[in-house]
Amino acid sequence: MTGRLNQEGKGAGGAGPRPAALLGGVLSLVLATGFQSCAESSFRTDILPILTKAGCNAGACHGAATGQGGFKLSLLGYDPEEDHARITRESGGRRLDFSHPGESLFLRKPAGELEHEGGRRLPRDSASHRKLLTWIAQGAPFGSPELHVSEITVTPADRLFTATGQSLALRVTARLSDGSSQDVTALALYTSQDDALAEVGKSGEVTARGSGMTSVMVRYAGQVAAVRLAVPYDEPALSSAGLSELNYIDGYVRAELDRLHLPASPPGDDAEFVRRVHLDVVGRLPDPDVVRRFLAAPADAAKRSRLIDGLLQSDDFTDFWTLKLADLFLLGGKGSPDGITSNYHAWLREQVATNAPFDRIVQALLTATGDLAQVGPANFMMLATDPRDLSEHVGRIFLGSQIACARCHSHPNDRWTQEDYHRFAAYFARLKRDDGRVSVALRGEVDHPKTGRPLTPKPLGAPGQAAAVAGGDQGPADRRPALAAWLASPANPAFTRTIVNRVWKHLLGRGLVEPVDDLRPSNPPTHPALLDALVADFVAGGLDLRRLIRVIVGSQTYQLTSQPRGINRRDQRLYSHAYLKELPGPVFADAVAQVTGVPDQFAGQPPGTRAVQLVGPRIPSPALDVLGRCSREGACDSPARSGGGLARALHLINGSTINDKLRGGVLDSLLTGSASDRFILDEVYLRALSRPPGPAELAEWTTVLATATDRKEAVQDLVWALLNSREFAFNH
Amino acid sequence: MNPPTTRTPTSRCDGLARRDFLHLGLLTAFGLSASDLFRRQLQAAEPAGTNRRANSCILIWLDGGPSHLDLFDPKPGAPAEIRGPFQAIPTRVPGVHICEHLPRIAGILDQVGLIRSLTHELGNHDTGTRFLLTGHRPTPAVDYPSLGSLVAREQGFNTAIPPYVAVPHDSVGGSTTAARGGYLGGAFSAFNVGTDPAHVRDLDSPPGVSFSRGERRQEMLRKFDAFRRETEERPVTGDRDAFYEQAYRLLASPEARGAFDLSQEKPAVRERYGTSRLGTGCLLARRLIEAGSRFVTVVDPGWDTHQQIARELPDSRFPGSGKLPALDRAFSALITDLRERGRLESTLVVLMGEFGRTPKLNAAGGRDHWPRAGSVCLAGGGVQGGRVIGATNGFGEVPVDRPVSPADLAHTLLKLLGVDPGRELITPAGRPMKILSDGAFISELL
Repeated sequence: MTGRLNQEGKGAGGAGPRPAALLGGVLSLVLATGFQSCAESSFRTDILPILTKAGCNAGACHGAATGQGGFKLSLLGYDPEEDHARITRESGGRRLDFSHPGESLFLRKPAGELEHEGGRRLPRDSASHRKLLTWIAQGAPFGSPELHVSEITVTPADRLFTATGQSLALRVTARLSDGSSQDVTALALYTSQDDALAEVGKSGEVTARGSGMTSVMVRYAGQVAAVRLAVPYDEPALSSAGLSELNYIDGYVRAELDRLHLPASPPGDDAEFVRRVHLDVVGRLPDPDVVRRFLAAPADAAKRSRLIDGLLQSDDFTDFWTLKLADLFLLGGKGSPDGITSNYHAWLREQVATNAPFDRIVQALLTATGDLAQVGPANFMMLATDPRDLSEHVGRIFLGSQIACARCHSHPNDRWTQEDYHRFAAYFARLKRDDGRVSVALRGEVDHPKTGRPLTPKPLGAPGQAAAVAGGDQGPADRRPALAAWLASPANPAFTRTIVNRVWKHLLGRGLVEPVDDLRPSNPPTHPALLDALVADFVAGGLDLRRLIRVIVGSQTYQLTSQPRGINRRDQRLYSHAYLKELPGPVFADAVAQVTGVPDQFAGQPPGTRAVQLVGPRIPSPALDVLGRCSREGACDSPARSGGGLARALHLINGSTINDKLRGGVLDSLLTGSASDRFILDEVYLRALSRPPGPAELAEWTTVLATATDRKEAVQDLVWALLNSREFAFNH
Repeated sequence: MNPPTTRTPTSRCDGLARRDFLHLGLLTAFGLSASDLFRRQLQAAEPAGTNRRANSCILIWLDGGPSHLDLFDPKPGAPAEIRGPFQAIPTRVPGVHICEHLPRIAGILDQVGLIRSLTHELGNHDTGTRFLLTGHRPTPAVDYPSLGSLVAREQGFNTAIPPYVAVPHDSVGGSTTAARGGYLGGAFSAFNVGTDPAHVRDLDSPPGVSFSRGERRQEMLRKFDAFRRETEERPVTGDRDAFYEQAYRLLASPEARGAFDLSQEKPAVRERYGTSRLGTGCLLARRLIEAGSRFVTVVDPGWDTHQQIARELPDSRFPGSGKLPALDRAFSALITDLRERGRLESTLVVLMGEFGRTPKLNAAGGRDHWPRAGSVCLAGGGVQGGRVIGATNGFGEVPVDRPVSPADLAHTLLKLLGVDPGRELITPAGRPMKILSDGAFISELL
């Protein structure tokens, strides 16, 4: 019964003195197990990782919010003090038996000797079991309260396999806060981002399974790291991928293609380029005259650059990127009062029109106060009233970080703790929203969820004292300027990487990091050096979005054809060819109106207003609801948040978007004139697809039109089919 | 051996395993493709981690928050300002009373599992609706899919009828997107029937397009797509192709299109359900379920009764009309009709709204939002009738027995419909996401 002694005498940190009576037990145990060292174990750095590795504190096991079988641990060990207390003291300390350490419930259950729903996880003869046994024999100390793992490194950090089936043993080293290091390969957790490419075992052994590029996430004691892995395609090695260089982007892309033996598709022709660059940069199709002139112009090196420059300076650019940013900032969505978004929208449009640097736009959003109807950017603070909700929006939109996980427990895949989360939220604690105004409140705190004490604000991942403000009454009334100065700064890599990655994704169809709102050390980019170079260039250019877009669409990578070449058909992340992108709902609607020459009329909007120009997401349009538009109630980083699917297909077949536009407009003028079938075909192909019909198409449709009993109907049906076609629905 | 309800140790406990997903062959670079969706209809066996009893679900959504005290949880012994204007009447279940304006439901309560202890803390229509319809406490960071979308996603098409249909539309909780596809995308949102079932949106050919002209168009479209097939068939275009295929299947199927046509029902049947929007909606839901839909949500607006319950719930000017009589007729007719047609066992019927209402009447004779207590009715789909689960205190304020969270309810619905709430999905953005992160099966229902 001496084992009960441990209940008393434990300090708050749990590192109390050990009952002397146990010493004999320890000695005999050390002899019995051959354990080398008598050094006192640290619960946080020696014991907890064993429990995490064995899965004890996983969400489906004791890490569940309510625990499991009456025993609760913090999820993945984010709360070591609490876990230590529960293991050593909860239920009258019955989990540990200090007189007979080996008989402890804490050991016998996971050893499979007693009934345990989780099964046999720490067998009696395992190294992990022996470590736990020694720790109990030592009196189950907490150890140094400060000692923690400060960083983990994985070697190799990057590996190119030469063939599938090859294996690689990862090695993980943890650096502790006292400067020491440990090999923790056996206790780290490994997750492959794509098992079809690389499989990873529990002990860090990676096996190449398929061709391509992926990464393995490694987690240990609250720290994360990643290993990039590449497996070449089963092709004879290429001398080069065949990607010529128009600017620095192409060198980085080619290097990866070469490494993976993946050929690049050839550059796309002018017809492909003119349609693609219009849809991507200004969100509309090129007018037929523009296409004709562009195709007819002699090929010279500057031809495409001139087109790009023209687009970047157009009003269409301003309209379309105002929409892109409005979707990103959730303008006029949740929380915003009806009827006053037009001022916010006008402000944003002005920023885009005058090419305001991106950091300045975001600074304004993060710090504005005042009358919502007068001060456009003040509306951003209406996204949420709870400072925590608002901080989640800010984290996702501007830092590309999914911080919400850390609201209730440490982020499982990132380094944020619950305290980090609440300190970040504290920047938004002092705001008032009433009488249509946003103003600074005198009071307001965000409390630590466990201690209940107010937390001083601190930005996510900022080094040292950056952006720190004092809490309580000492600090400034408005905490946001300090945050904005740190967050929306060219010097903040999380901020610049996030927007650069989003713009890249919009133009190339895939982010260098996916998902674009989940940038973290454990989720590496496919092309890290390219992302760094783009960010450096973006910063050097003064966070100029037009300049960023110009350099990306000016690359050979962007201008490759979308037609796959041989094996590169299988590639979906190395940019060996241009990826198809489905036209977003508003762009599709505008494109139909443009091809047919029959504009849409939106309720309450001036005639001629296009779908991409609509101010708020609540302007009624059943057609756009079916085609898909961002409701701005939550992230719209993936396309087609509303609409799509069967309803969209039915709508395009039978509904108004296409059928109501087959009369009047362009078709009527083509049919009432003396235009030949050939002329009509050329014209509608050019308008919709920015290319002339191919010989087979021409032969087919000329016959159809020539044999039609009703030529007008036949032309309408042809255009109907063209607008329903797969080719029209995608940007190639 | 692992316990029967769990997966492999790795996937259970690291919370991140994507292996199951990959091994099912469902992961493409673009998430689930629609062709996978169609393929899945072949998987008939009960998946692990479920208690599959039902093939389909009809959810009657009382939008605005039905008053638990004035419907299924009367407090006849409470003071008048809590008791409210209505009397309690006995039901087919001994000792259980409900509102006097629900006599038909009282007569079939032995076929209903009644939960009287639904409780949460989200008192806005928007957030409350999201919690109930997704099973997740709402967060700005994730747009969770609705239960109907999850069922559509996991079970796929049964016939040419869309798997998830909303009658008349999926606008609930103050026009939130709570009933939509969330991170699963619009492809898994409900197909909205619209307010006039006789003219379902985009099901009819446009004016001037005869059947044969429609066929000519389809043939031209097929040719257009064939010209570029070589270069365009990719995972990203697969969804679009699959949905066109499905649209043409629906348009070409007289049975499927006929399911929307209420005129095929005998007048006596229509009379039984009542001619209210709710009655018509429930009858349409039954037809759609029989034609192959997996999840039909019937939305009945107008339950946000801040004023004059005595006059508004039963229409005091026209006895026998108003919201409660319409609900009484529609719900009881649906249960009875399903049973008589042998479909009750395979169809789960759920009746609920976003929250209950304040126990104390307000100055306007109405009740305000009260998320801490509410009632839910479940019938069919393996649910044992005649049971009352949980109870509120004497004033209907809080559960005193067996509190049930929206997550528990979502968990239970999904399991009964054969969807494993513990399964992990990959969002289109590539993020692994458990279907539900919380909640437990309400075993008392079986």
